[in-house]
Amino acid sequence: MSRRRGLGRSVFLFAASAVFLVYVLAPVAWLVSSSLQRDAEITSRPPHWIPREPTLENFAAIFEAREKKVTYETRREGDPATGGYIPSTARDLLPSMWNSLVVALAVVALNLLVAVPAAYAMAKIRFIGRSTSIYFMLTTRVIPDIALVVPFFLLIRTFGLLDHLGSLVITYLAITVPFSVFILVSYFESLPDELDKAARVDGCSRLQTMLRVYVPLALPALVAVVLFTFLTSWNEFLLALMFTQTPKSQTMPIVVASFASDFTISFAFINAAGVLAVIPPVVMAIIFERYIVSGLTAGAVKG
Amino acid sequence: MSARAGALRGVFGAPVSRYDQASALWLLAPMLAVLLVVAVFPVVYSFWISLFDLKLTRPHRVPFVWFENYAEIFQDELFWSSVWRTISFTVMSVAAIMAIALAMALLLNEEFRGRRFLSAMLLVPWAIPYVANGLMWKWIYDSGYGALNGILLQLDFIDKYMVWLGDSRKTLALIANAFVWKEVPLATILLLVGLKSIPADLYSAARVDGANTWRRFVHITLPALRPSFMLVVIYETMMAIRHFDLFFILTEGGPAEASHVLAWHVYVETFRKLSFGTGSALAYIIALVTFLLAFWLIRTLGRKL
Repeated sequence: MSRRRGLGRSVFLFAASAVFLVYVLAPVAWLVSSSLQRDAEITSRPPHWIPREPTLENFAAIFEAREKKVTYETRREGDPATGGYIPSTARDLLPSMWNSLVVALAVVALNLLVAVPAAYAMAKIRFIGRSTSIYFMLTTRVIPDIALVVPFFLLIRTFGLLDHLGSLVITYLAITVPFSVFILVSYFESLPDELDKAARVDGCSRLQTMLRVYVPLALPALVAVVLFTFLTSWNEFLLALMFTQTPKSQTMPIVVASFASDFTISFAFINAAGVLAVIPPVVMAIIFERYIVSGLTAGAVKG
Repeated sequence: MSARAGALRGVFGAPVSRYDQASALWLLAPMLAVLLVVAVFPVVYSFWISLFDLKLTRPHRVPFVWFENYAEIFQDELFWSSVWRTISFTVMSVAAIMAIALAMALLLNEEFRGRRFLSAMLLVPWAIPYVANGLMWKWIYDSGYGALNGILLQLDFIDKYMVWLGDSRKTLALIANAFVWKEVPLATILLLVGLKSIPADLYSAARVDGANTWRRFVHITLPALRPSFMLVVIYETMMAIRHFDLFFILTEGGPAEASHVLAWHVYVETFRKLSFGTGSALAYIIALVTFLLAFWLIRTLGRKL
């Protein structure tokens, strides 16, 4: 009997896994598939789920656009009937990914610098104002980004930082620091207090105890913080839309979104841009998958 | 150690050493400084702006109008209809997210070969930028060559290509679908963490008492999962209420006003009509509503810390 139940269970799990994978991957698979098709093929009805003549020319257009000056005359290279337009902004895509990378790395570094000591203090030191600072941190976590847009815009304009990457780094701290502190506090709390006492007896200062004892032990949480912060900055759209104006400071989401709102651009090209935008964060997430779960787990399991 | 010698007294009378107090404040200082500048100050400043009739189209005359911006907002029919659309978008999205995420978390809680692969793939939607997610669904929903039309036609559900996003009765649900797809992974992971924390002996005890799978699910899993479930509901509600990116990419509030939600309303008032006073007041209303909702969240989380 148990064997029959075992078989039924396997069949059920297999079917459920298949549904799961289709739901999660099918839209992305379709994005990738259509980024490998030419304009003529992408407009077939019904669609070719698997490209019959796979091509990399959509990606080539993005990489070549940097050297080649795309003008109004040269930009229409595809079949005019199907609207194979390569936008003149195609060459902004790679620089914008660089901008995104610079902003994300700066935000990650500042987050670690600010969040680690604060989280250690909240988790391991008894002091007056401890619970107040925890509530303060949790409150700032729920401020919606849309409420920050107007005041930030006016401030940034006053300081002449509009269209400057610095403005993005500063504003992204508001949406990342509370979450980083939150993950780290939970993780530090799950580590034993005795380590703290032992290090102190050995003559370590608070700062030394934190750096030598807790930081190495909290590696999973640190990786989770780096990952969450990096992805939040890399993907952020609303604030970047408000504070960047020219390719000098535009980040990847802004340039990609500008393709989306232009009806003349070929979908094959847009999809290739979409695939390029998706690769870095997805690769990072899958490599560090283990840490995301363990970083979050410490906080949630304790309850 | 004579910790008591130089001890301060905490709120509850517990002694706190001066060294601990000082070092804690030094360690906290950078975070407090950053949050004061980038979070507290903007919120206060935003309230101040919301009391002025500040229009960038008329930068030299900025009269102080008390709460007139708020009064105007509450008289605006478009505001109220956008509130309703936000509510319906939020309810649809959160219900779907919770149903799908619960099913996925229960699956990933089982032990079987390939489970690790599934949980790695689950992160794909989570990691994708919202902008790329928007592009992808725009292409899927495309009325001329989209995958949705293609597959429904091949499966004989429709006999000709249909307009999807442009149909005002479907727009909100289709945007919600794109939102749900992207939000499900995090919800699943959080629920899974909750499932894993249920002690295994509860299940074996129930099995000894003769409870079948369904009864074990209803009487053990569901009650034990309640805290994480509530937490995810509140988190996703907050995300849905403030969501902006997909509305920008997919429909720009259209067709007509079919997807004109609150977040989009703020954007239009602020950056298309350049009426910063009204925009601030609106953002403030959204912030207050989210704060009230988050009050729950903070109480739930606060108890744990």
